[in-house]
Formats: sequence, structure tokens, C-alpha cells
Amino acid sequence: MAEPVRRPSAIEALHPLTKLALMLAAVAAGAALPNLPAVLGVYLLVLVPLAAAGGCLAPFLRTSLRVLTPFLISLLLIQGFFTTGPTVLVRLGPFRYTLEGLLVGLLFSARLLVGMGAATLLMLITRPDALMRGLVERGLPNQIAYIVITALQIVPTFQARARAILDAQRSRGLETEGRLTVRLRAFAPLVGPLILSSLMQIEERAIALEARAFNRPGRRTSLVALHDTRAQALLRWALLAAALALIAVRLLVWRAA
Amino acid sequence: MIAVSGLRFRYTGSEQPALDGIDLSIGAGELVGVVGANGAGKSTLCYALTGYIPHFYAGALEGDVLVAGHEVRRTPVSELAAEAGLVFHNPFNQISGARYTVLEEVAFGLENLGLVPDAMRQQAQAALLATGLEDLAGRSPFTLSGGEQQRLAVAAVIAMQPRVLVLDEPTSQLDPAGTRAIFEVLRSLARTRRTTIVITEHKLGWLASFVDRLVVLHAGRLAADGEPRRVLSEAASQPWGVGATDYTRAAQEARRGGLLPTAGDLLPVTLEQALETLR
Amino acid sequence: MSLDLRHVSFRYPGGVLALDGVDLTVAAGEALAIVGENGAGKTTLVKLFNGLLRPTEGSVWLAGSETRRQTVAQLARQVGFVFQNPDDQLFARSVRDEVAFGPRNLRLPEAEIRARLEQALAEVGLTAAVDRHPYDLSAPERKLVALAAALAMRTPLLVLDEPTIGQDAQGVERLGKLVDQLSAEGRTLVTITHDLDFCLAHFERVVVMAGGRILADGPATEVLQRVELLQQAQVEPPELVQLARGLGWDTMVRTPQAFAEAWTARRAGKDGAR
Repeated sequence: MAEPVRRPSAIEALHPLTKLALMLAAVAAGAALPNLPAVLGVYLLVLVPLAAAGGCLAPFLRTSLRVLTPFLISLLLIQGFFTTGPTVLVRLGPFRYTLEGLLVGLLFSARLLVGMGAATLLMLITRPDALMRGLVERGLPNQIAYIVITALQIVPTFQARARAILDAQRSRGLETEGRLTVRLRAFAPLVGPLILSSLMQIEERAIALEARAFNRPGRRTSLVALHDTRAQALLRWALLAAALALIAVRLLVWRAA
Repeated sequence: MIAVSGLRFRYTGSEQPALDGIDLSIGAGELVGVVGANGAGKSTLCYALTGYIPHFYAGALEGDVLVAGHEVRRTPVSELAAEAGLVFHNPFNQISGARYTVLEEVAFGLENLGLVPDAMRQQAQAALLATGLEDLAGRSPFTLSGGEQQRLAVAAVIAMQPRVLVLDEPTSQLDPAGTRAIFEVLRSLARTRRTTIVITEHKLGWLASFVDRLVVLHAGRLAADGEPRRVLSEAASQPWGVGATDYTRAAQEARRGGLLPTAGDLLPVTLEQALETLR
Repeated sequence: MSLDLRHVSFRYPGGVLALDGVDLTVAAGEALAIVGENGAGKTTLVKLFNGLLRPTEGSVWLAGSETRRQTVAQLARQVGFVFQNPDDQLFARSVRDEVAFGPRNLRLPEAEIRARLEQALAEVGLTAAVDRHPYDLSAPERKLVALAAALAMRTPLLVLDEPTIGQDAQGVERLGKLVDQLSAEGRTLVTITHDLDFCLAHFERVVVMAGGRILADGPATEVLQRVELLQQAQVEPPELVQLARGLGWDTMVRTPQAFAEAWTARRAGKDGAR
């Protein structure tokens, strides 16, 4: 997962729910707007400047484009060959690659790009725990927020753990280097310790949480206050309204791809 | 501060009781060490003092455990936690995973208790200072070393300023420097905040130097309870499986040579005592 | 089974230099203890023995051939490893299967595997636990299961990473006897430990590490007397060393019995001189 950039910027200082609203609106726009230039416009004229303002333009471009690439290729191929249309660009036996198909593929890819770009940007400019805290303040159950955050922090440690287990088993003669069958056979003695020790870890962690009064009924407070302004609150409502409007218009008026 | 009477506990599915009749009374500000062979009931006692037994570990519980005025059996752990904290020996599993910085991790318990942010900050920072972690306040807990993580576990519990602190082999994974850091924090808490501290350990030398009182658990029962030197002297010739420091053993062996004044005198447990005895 | 580390350095991918030009030769049958504070590079060093880590500079030679040419699993036939955290390797449903795992990987006949299993469990005192699930045992017992699993492989070189952590007095004593016995059998033993008293009693040679370098390497009787050096490496000298020093002795003793003999002799000498 991309690490939030540590340099403070105006974008990062926004309330996490504002950032979430921005991204959701961008995704809605990307899904609803009717043509390629409009959708690309969301990416280039909204997301990219926001990323630049947030000081994370390079990682944003890198990640969103990198994630898109496999989808781009398959979408262009599938849509190009399987969308019927008059303008044939390439003929491959019985298969026809059409211009219309290419355009459809590009449009789908652009929508996907906006979606992934919005998610990437959100992760880059928002600390996950701040986002969760924002949601908890609005009524998200504390337990769910906890699960999301710990998943983000603890799952990466599984990698280190898996490596340690792998080392331990190799040291007992388990061959892991070599032919594929050898490597596959090595799987079982690795999975067992990982799952078992993870379960034990979870149990001990649950106990440790109790010792920190996690399940105590009553009001919870927060060490770090999230800074919010009326302007941002209004902006969020506006964005939400705009997103809903775009979706409504899309469903009712623009019925093209 | 801690009053245990007639405590008996048998884990579900176990034939033998883990604790078989414990009567123990500990006052505020006492720093008490608990020693015994593995399986003697040290961890079980730690859980019983902090409510994990009976609330998390199922079994047959008899007797009364009163901690900081609360009857443990009747108080939910999340409520008891503010008064009686538990630190156990795996540092990694005590990181909540819910916070991204050391400072917030330490304040996590205080947030759950609903403290005002100013009070939280003050208590959390005091805890970091006490455990020597103030320079690491902004780091992610997962980037800390094992010794640092164990200090973090201690800090996170003491930030809640419990009146009772129970630690189950907290230094087992630490090197001597890390061990010293933990013991010094505990002594400071007992002296300055009158925190009642119960610590189980195998490291006899450290215990003898730092605790006021030593308790021996043997097969689920209290075999000895008193001044560390006296208890460890006795333990050296009893089948409790407690072991002895090399100072004690050296003096024991020297006694056999016949040139050392014999039984009736206490055996030495620490270096100072050994030098005094053997000079 | 001689082990030869020739000017090895190890740098972690992140850039941290964990080992800095270390030279170490371990002859067959030696019992060596490596001491030093956490982060000194001890575990990194021993992981070079069986190929878990490969040196970024320098070379590692085992029984005359470079380890670079062999996989970890191949080196496991000669180098047994007991990790600090047994939960990293315990995966079988019974202690029996766990301990037999290593020998099975070596493709030994069943009868041989059974014999080794029995012996290994007897050596760690867990014969009664043979059919129990490892995770039903306590943490110190799981450590002993991991040890038994390594013992069953009967490797000429055995590495123990902090074997005494969490063990009670009886457990430490049993480990000590086991170390002495393995040593007497001619196995090469390398241990990492914070328990300097255990080290003093059972290991002939001590290597002190700090900051990825070896500060001292020599007979236990010599190295463990260098109190200032030990303290510089953040290591607590053994209790008997501190005692002898405090009494003004210039010799060292390794066991309480030896201490008593020396002390009695001196006391008798003093009394005799009056």
C-alpha cells in the first residue's frame, strides 16, 4: 500500500471525509460522464492537479498508470474485437478489430483509470487511521474501523513472518529451490505455522486489547482532533449532490456507453 | 491493594488445578516478584489478578480475588483494565495495530477510557518518558526493535496509570540493557506513584536486586513468601525448581568445604551479599 | 565439520550493514558461544552458516567447500538450526511428526527415523509428549520440541539461538547437560546467548560481538574475564567472574564447585599461615 506523503500540504490538511467525498465524486464523474474527453478530463484536470497540490504527483502517476496497464491491454483487445461496428481497422481471420470497439475500450479504460486514480490518490493523501476516525465520528462501528486499520498494518508483517517460517523449514531440509513441483510440495509446512501462529497472535492481541479497555462501553475520545470547517462540510454536501446528480443524469439521459 | 483468599483454579479440560489454594495480600506500592518452575502457576496467577481468569480463560474458579477494591470475578476486564494492567512476554502481540505512531499507541487505552485530550497527552508523554521512548514517539510501532516494543507495551499500560501492574516474564526476550530498563521503570513506579507491582521472572539476580518481596509458587501453591534473600536462600535447598544464582551456589558449595559458617546464616543472592559472606 | 568465515560482510537490502568484515573459524568439535547486545549482528552471523543469508562480501566455507554452491536444504544436512522462536517452524499435528520432519527430509529409513525420534525426545525430556499437539504445550516446551527436531537430524554442527530463554532452572540444567553431552560426542556447537552464566559453565570459547564486528574471540576463561570489554559490548559478565574479581582473585572459575574448591584452598592457606 502506498505510504501517505509526509510533507504537509493544503490538500492533506483537509478533513479525511472531505478527501473521501472528493474521490467519490471523481469516481462518480468518471463512471457517469458520457464520452472519452470528459472522462479523461476528470483524470487530467481534477485528479492530477490534486495530486500535484498534495505533493505526490510522481507516485500517483506511477501507481495509477501501472495498475491500469493490464486492464487497458485486455479491454482494448476484447472491446476492439467483440464490439460490432462499421469501421474495420484490422482483420485477423474471422475476427474484425473495429474503430468503434477501440473507442469503447478506451472509454472503459478511462473510466477505470479515474476510479483507480481516485483510490490511489485517496490512499496517498490520507492516513488510513484518520479516515477511519472520520468515519467513526459519523457512526461507523469502532470494531470495523479497528479491523480495517489492523489489517493494513498487520498483514504486511505476515510477509516477514512467512519468510521466517520459510527459513525455519528450509533449515530442516525442506527444499524450496529448484523445480516447480519441489516448490509446490514445500507449501504445506509453510501454511501450517503461518495460520497457527497467526491465530495465536490474534488471541494474544485480543487479550492485549482488553487490557487497553477496548470493549469498554461508554464514550471514546481522541488524542488527535480532526480539523473540520463549515466550508468543507458544505463542499462535501455539494460533492455528494453533484455525484448523485451525475449518476441520475447518466441513467436517465445519457444512455450511451 | 490485592487480596487473594482461597484461590483455586483448574483450566477446563485439565485434571490438575493450576492454582491450588492461594492466600496472598499485597499492599499499595509493594514491588513483588513471583518465581517458580514452569507450570507452577505463575502465569495463571497473573491472569487471575487481572481478570483474564475467569473472563477469558474458562475453568473452575474458587476463592476471592480483590484487586484495587474490585472483585475480579464480577468486574468486566475492560473496566478492571483501568485499575489493573497486564503486560505479558510477547512484545509484538501487545501492539494494538490500531495506531500509526508510538505516541498514539500509548494513548490508545486512554482514548478508550474517554479521557480529555490534554490529560491523555500528558499521561502518554509521561509514560514515554518513564520508559525512555520519548525519541521514538513519532515512529511506527512496527519499526521498533523487540526490546523497544516491550518497553512500548509497558508504556501503553502504565499510561493508563493503573494502581496495580502485573507483568508476566516481561524481560524474557530482552538483553541485559533492556532488562535493566524495565526493572528501573518498575521500581520508579512503585516508589513514586505507589503502584503495586507483581512480576513473574526467572532472572533471580535481577529480582533480588529490585523487588521488596518474593513469592514462590510450587505446584499451584504458595511455598514461600517474604524477603528475597531469605526466600531464595531457602529455595536453594528445596525442591521447588526455583534454581539459584551462581552467588548462592558458590556459597552453598563453599559451605560444604567446612570453612564457611553454616546453616542459620542466610546464603547470599547478589554480588554484594556474596562478597560480604565470602571475604 | 570445520566452519570458516572469511572476511564476511552483510548488508541488508535497506542498506543497514549488519556484519562488517568478520573472520571466524570454528574447528570440528568446538563449543562456541556468541554474546553481545541485541542488534550486534549475532543472528545475522549464524544465518550465514547454513545459507539462510549469503554474505554480501567475503565467503563462507563448510567442511572445505564454499556454501555458496549449496542450497539451504542441502546445508541443513550438516548444519542444524534451532531458532529463537519455535512457533516459526512448528506445523505438525503431533510432536512425533514434528520431530520426524527433518529426518524425513533426509530420506532416512523409517526404523532410523523412529530411533532418532525416541532419542531426541529423551534428550529434551519430552518423551511423554510424543503424541501431543505442539501448540498444546507451553512456550518453553515448544522450544524443546524445536530443539528435539534439530537434534533428530544429527548434524555435525548445531546452532542454538538463545536456547535458555523462558526455561526454568530445571530446563536450563537439562540444556546444560545436553550441551556437555553433545560436546563430548564431538559435535560442533555454536550458541547465541544472553545467559553468561550458562555460557561460562558449558562453552569453551566465547566470541563477543558489537556493531557487526567481533570485539573478542578466545577461550571462555580469558574472554569472560575482560569485564570492561564485556560492559562495552553491553554484556553482563558472569556472576562467578564478578565474584572472583570482587574478591581480588586473578584466576577464574567456571562452576560453583570449582569456586568452592579455590575459595576453600585460599581460606585454608590463609588460616594455615596464621
